[in-house]
Amino acid sequence: MKNFFILLAMKVLHIGLKIAGKNGGNFLGKIAYDWNPNIFKYFKINCPIIAVTATNGKTMTNNAIGYIFKTAGKKVISNTEGNNMETGILSTLLKHCSLTGKIKADYLVFEVDEGYVPVIFKDLKLDTLVILDFFRDQLDRNGEVESLILRINDFLKTYTGNLILNNDDPNVARLGQANPENHNIYYFSVEKYSHATTDMKEAGEGKFCPFCNTRIEYEYYQYSHIGKFKCPNCNYGDNEVYKMAKNIDLKNRTFTVDDVTYKIRFNSIYNIYNFTAVISCVSLYSIDTDIIQKALSTFILNNGRLEEIQVKNIPTIINLAKNPTGSNVSLRILNEDDDEKELLFVLNDNIADGRDVSWIWDINFDTLNNVSRIITSGTRAYDIAIRIKTAGFPVEKIEPYLDLHEAVEHFYQTNVKKYVIANYTSLQPTRNEILKLK
Amino acid sequence: MKELKILYLYPDILELYGDFGNIQVLRYRLEKRGFKAIIEPYSIGNPPPNFKDYDLVFAGGGADQEQGILAEDLIQYKQSIKEAVNDGVFFLLICGAYQLFGKYYKGVEGNIIPGLEVFDYYTEAIDDRKKRCIGNIVIETELNGKKTKVIGFENHGGQTFNISSPFGSVLMGNGNKFGDNHEGFFLPNVIATYLHGPLLAKNPELTDYIIKYCLDRKYNEDIILEPLDDAFENKCREQLLLLYNC
Repeated sequence: MKNFFILLAMKVLHIGLKIAGKNGGNFLGKIAYDWNPNIFKYFKINCPIIAVTATNGKTMTNNAIGYIFKTAGKKVISNTEGNNMETGILSTLLKHCSLTGKIKADYLVFEVDEGYVPVIFKDLKLDTLVILDFFRDQLDRNGEVESLILRINDFLKTYTGNLILNNDDPNVARLGQANPENHNIYYFSVEKYSHATTDMKEAGEGKFCPFCNTRIEYEYYQYSHIGKFKCPNCNYGDNEVYKMAKNIDLKNRTFTVDDVTYKIRFNSIYNIYNFTAVISCVSLYSIDTDIIQKALSTFILNNGRLEEIQVKNIPTIINLAKNPTGSNVSLRILNEDDDEKELLFVLNDNIADGRDVSWIWDINFDTLNNVSRIITSGTRAYDIAIRIKTAGFPVEKIEPYLDLHEAVEHFYQTNVKKYVIANYTSLQPTRNEILKLK
Repeated sequence: MKELKILYLYPDILELYGDFGNIQVLRYRLEKRGFKAIIEPYSIGNPPPNFKDYDLVFAGGGADQEQGILAEDLIQYKQSIKEAVNDGVFFLLICGAYQLFGKYYKGVEGNIIPGLEVFDYYTEAIDDRKKRCIGNIVIETELNGKKTKVIGFENHGGQTFNISSPFGSVLMGNGNKFGDNHEGFFLPNVIATYLHGPLLAKNPELTDYIIKYCLDRKYNEDIILEPLDDAFENKCREQLLLLYNC
């Protein structure tokens, strides 16, 4: 009976928020969860629940999966805005359920914060879990990557649903062995692309085999520690691959899976991994290939995740980068583009960013391709300026401004192509400053 | 051309908090002045390094699991490391490396991980795994008779005891233990500290102290280092010291 009243109260509150013109974010979920942390049990869900977790790429992958289902005419409920902790998922459920907790949809698709998978899916039956990657991320808030992986590994010991894993991330592929009874493991992989290297170019994890502590060997690295690896001692990494992306052409933005060509709107190796995970996932639900092709050819995100816009007729690419790998992926795209360009790097150290900015030293600024000027801003504008200077970029071409408005104004004083990298709390303010000029 | 030979210990393992930045800053400040920086990495599986051959030995901090693997490797060099320290080779040790050079590290369950016993201090894990000294930190130290503030970031669960000569006094943050007055361990040729950020990035005076020590020792002189353009560093320090009220 208690849950009924919680739901009733939340429904009334939701209507109130709607009238007031507010979205509410995690708000409903926060109240309901404080009231009863076991409320997840109360929902009656008769459709598959799909979840995506990772350090990087959750929002993009989650939204692409939902978008494909919608293109196929299915009803999808999803946290597309990125509220991905227990209160965010709960808010999404509360907004869409009946008073008896019934949810009518064909699919529930959620991105879930990597720390919250065990909490949320203790009481919600998960049909498919997609895991993309694990990188170092805000160590002062999240702790070491290893403890996070161990928590998810514990959860997976009793999980028997579909598990879609990146076979090229040694931190992820290992989770396929968490439950030997689970036969629904699907590994995805991406064929070596033109900028893959034999040495690690960017900071990465997973240097030692999680099963026998032997140093892992790589045939090549695609980016960070993502690549073709194998443990020379116990053969860890040698899995049968379910979906493999081939013929990666970032210039024309195409790749193939099972001989079908997919055209996408993004141009990074990192996106190819995300979309290979997406294809692996929706193929388990018998979605026609032509629908996937059609959906992926139009799928974009307008929220500063590799967003491409024109500002004063100047092409501008904005990307969120909250950790070294996110930044390195952005710089890869920049370096694979031969045009002259300028970079704006905005670095904040608010609580949600992590207070520790030492991670910027794991960004590879060594060989920037045709960058004529770099502007830095955010609460740590000088830290990032020092970092870039030390990498050898000419100091007279670096301009730090603590004030973001001033930084963006100076940035658009030239008509050279623009790349923008902003970390978590700086992304939307930076985007807003730029959009003001549009 | 004058040169410094730097041994970079376990660059692929002790690299959790941007520690490679210290090497980059050292190289930058050496090369800007026309000195040569020879940086030689050593990691598990490489031939044993001759510690006395180097002017500076650097080691950073790593993830717990990986740090355990390398501690077993490092301990075989215990004797030659001690000799190099006594010989006056400069050692810059951050976080995990700081702890490894002490007597031991006592884990939460009371398990003892033996250290290199180069110095007399020891470290104990705090009972509550979730409690760590985390945050921005400012200390005051004295370099060649001149007081200077050192800015960094600390993130450690271990509490280090029995420090005979600390690196500095704490102006903001924790230091060797929760709420401690002292941070790190200091000898003329040793800086062992919890400060990362990385340590040398925002502290050019400290970097130059290390460079001067190494050059003076190697070339038997009293060098005056040519000043560099530290505009970004100075503004960064000014901004943060004002913000932290130090």
